Amino acid sequence: MVSATPRPFSLLAELTHRCPLHCPYCSNPVSLPPAREELRLDEWTRVFNEAAELGALHVGLSGGEPLARPDLVGLVAAARAAGLYSNLITSAIGLSRPKAAALKSAGLDSIQISVQSDEAPLADKIAGTNAHATKLEAARMVRELGFPLTINVVLHRLNIGRLPEIVALAERLGAERLELANTQFYGWAFQNRQELLPTRIQIDAATAAAFAARQRLQGKMEIIFVAPDYYGDRPKPCMHGWGRRHLTVNPRGDVLPCPTAGEIKSLQFDNVRENSLRWIWTESSAFNRFRGTEWMPEPCQSCEFREIDFGGCRCQAALLTADAANTDPACSLSPFRQKLIAFVESIQDVRTNSPAEASSRLSYRQNPK
Amino acid sequence: MTPILPAERPRLSPRARLQTDRVTGKPIVLYPEGVLVLNPSGHAIATLCTGNDTLAEIVAKLSVQFGVSPATLLPQVTDFLDRLRSKNLLAIASQGKEES
Repeated sequence: MVSATPRPFSLLAELTHRCPLHCPYCSNPVSLPPAREELRLDEWTRVFNEAAELGALHVGLSGGEPLARPDLVGLVAAARAAGLYSNLITSAIGLSRPKAAALKSAGLDSIQISVQSDEAPLADKIAGTNAHATKLEAARMVRELGFPLTINVVLHRLNIGRLPEIVALAERLGAERLELANTQFYGWAFQNRQELLPTRIQIDAATAAAFAARQRLQGKMEIIFVAPDYYGDRPKPCMHGWGRRHLTVNPRGDVLPCPTAGEIKSLQFDNVRENSLRWIWTESSAFNRFRGTEWMPEPCQSCEFREIDFGGCRCQAALLTADAANTDPACSLSPFRQKLIAFVESIQDVRTNSPAEASSRLSYRQNPK
Repeated sequence: MTPILPAERPRLSPRARLQTDRVTGKPIVLYPEGVLVLNPSGHAIATLCTGNDTLAEIVAKLSVQFGVSPATLLPQVTDFLDRLRSKNLLAIASQGKEES
């Protein structure tokens, strides 16, 4: 690539991997670093400032559960001082009214609450703990305090059929934004994909319902529907390109092009305790490994879509083909496509499992030591 | 979504934050997961969306600022505000009562 290094637009700050929930599709790594290695407030403050200097505009304060950090108010204040637009990405467990008010005073801009379904029995089964009622209460309180609210729902075989009811719940809660994100199959979710991947019939119905809701609620509630790439012909333009718009810093300070990239074992990721964020973003070998198009093998190299989807997802290529540089098998042109198709076809005839039945077969996310 | 009326008072939504991009120096509106880069006229309009002025008053102020007739400005300003509204970035008050 000859052009100058792009600027990052957003930083995902994974403040901790500790979490009161145990969702079986968690995007955190399957092996989690110990809590004692977490970056301190002064280290995060430096990261926020360096990210803003690089051009980042948004920071997602995420986890795990960011409320597990006792210094969260200070972290929010640091993000605000750096000029970043901050979004708290939370389960809402631990979000009391005084805490939320303190976060608002510190400059928190918006809050994103995850819900697992529209009703407690299923939602709690998925979260692996009784959390649903607490979440709804917190969502209402957040709106009363005047925060913009995003509701995020990860979709999978167990809840995707309830999409219209999930939209209705988000409306009742006064959400201004609703993310309907089909499960992406890495880490925990990959271990559970046999139970989680929706059938084609479910996907078609959900897609139609999501588009209808988007039309109906235009200007009131923004609806994002992330289609599952297992059912597409073209891969997703993952992160809009490797090291192009986004960076993730994990709890112990490793800097990643996306939250799951740490699972690519052939790459060495640098740490903010040893290097500046600018050096890592512009110079490090991990960030440059898949930048631009020169690294691409065929069929990507000569593909007319190469600067549209960037060859898809590196993590998925690593996971399904054992080489992160291969074309993402979610692309119909991938030589490894057949393996993915065979899996997708193998689950089409399953009857939709009951939550109780499914949960006995799911492996639930565990907490770091 | 009905078009905004000259007697209504537009105000940037609390979810929107107007600031300067430190890389480009351009005015931007930040909102959850998004950014809108403003041109100079968009910036001038957004700055006046405080909830204090009616659309008609905003147009009158811009007319003085840019030396363009209100009749020419009104459709342009309305168009810009409708774009903000479609992204849920604008609150509108008429007679003190607010709806989005």
